[in-house]
Amino acid sequence: MSDPIKIRASIKGSEGEVRVLMPHPMETGLRKDPSGRIPPAHFIIQVSLSLNGRTVIEGALGTSVSTNPLFAFQLKDVKAGDRVGVSWLDNTGQKGSAESVFSAS
Amino acid sequence: MERRHFLRAFGSAAALGPLLGSGLLRPGPVLAVDFNRAPFEAKTAADVLRLTGTAAAEATRDIFLKVPEVAENGASVPIEISSNIPGTTRLAVIIDKNPLPLALQFNFGPEAVPRLQTRLRMAESSRLRVVATAGGKHYTVFRDVKVTVGGCGE
Repeated sequence: MSDPIKIRASIKGSEGEVRVLMPHPMETGLRKDPSGRIPPAHFIIQVSLSLNGRTVIEGALGTSVSTNPLFAFQLKDVKAGDRVGVSWLDNTGQKGSAESVFSAS
Repeated sequence: MERRHFLRAFGSAAALGPLLGSGLLRPGPVLAVDFNRAPFEAKTAADVLRLTGTAAAEATRDIFLKVPEVAENGASVPIEISSNIPGTTRLAVIIDKNPLPLALQFNFGPEAVPRLQTRLRMAESSRLRVVATAGGKHYTVFRDVKVTVGGCGE
């Protein structure tokens, strides 16, 4: 449905920084559009981040996260070649996922 | 009376349906994340704190919270949070005056730094709270943020 997730995984010292952009409307179900209709709630409720296939960060979101959620996270002891995965699930059951690899800086 | 009860029960079941369904579709293995959605449906910060069991959170200086004092665009308020409390496993953000105050709740495994940056919506000027959980105890810090143009109508 939506554009693919963008991931930027970089290494700073021994820490890895992961920046993630997840294209998603994040409709609250509370706002009126210009025609006066209220679009139904449609937003990401779960996000998870994995390192080499193991879940390391997992979160639940509400409707206060902005459209096209952008997140930055930090992981310890990361080396070049480590794989980072991101996945989301929204309140309608739709899912998205993507993977990237840490590159040496 | 009977009919009203039925409608009420049916109404709430219908509203919860997609969420229950999605719970069965959770992606991959899970940390100890609380997938109870009730705190996300709470309409006041007090209810969020009660439902997450964090009402007794202790004020601390060991949570870093960076958010603009004045946010010009409530649709996208940049926020950075991190915890210096050893053993922090969870960070949550609550925006008191948003219609649904609980913005997010993240759990961090031992491989992760308890830190995140994101962008949040703020409907109006409000207190913004961060609650950190470490070793079963809860800690909190807050900041009052002025919003020039509210961010829930766009």
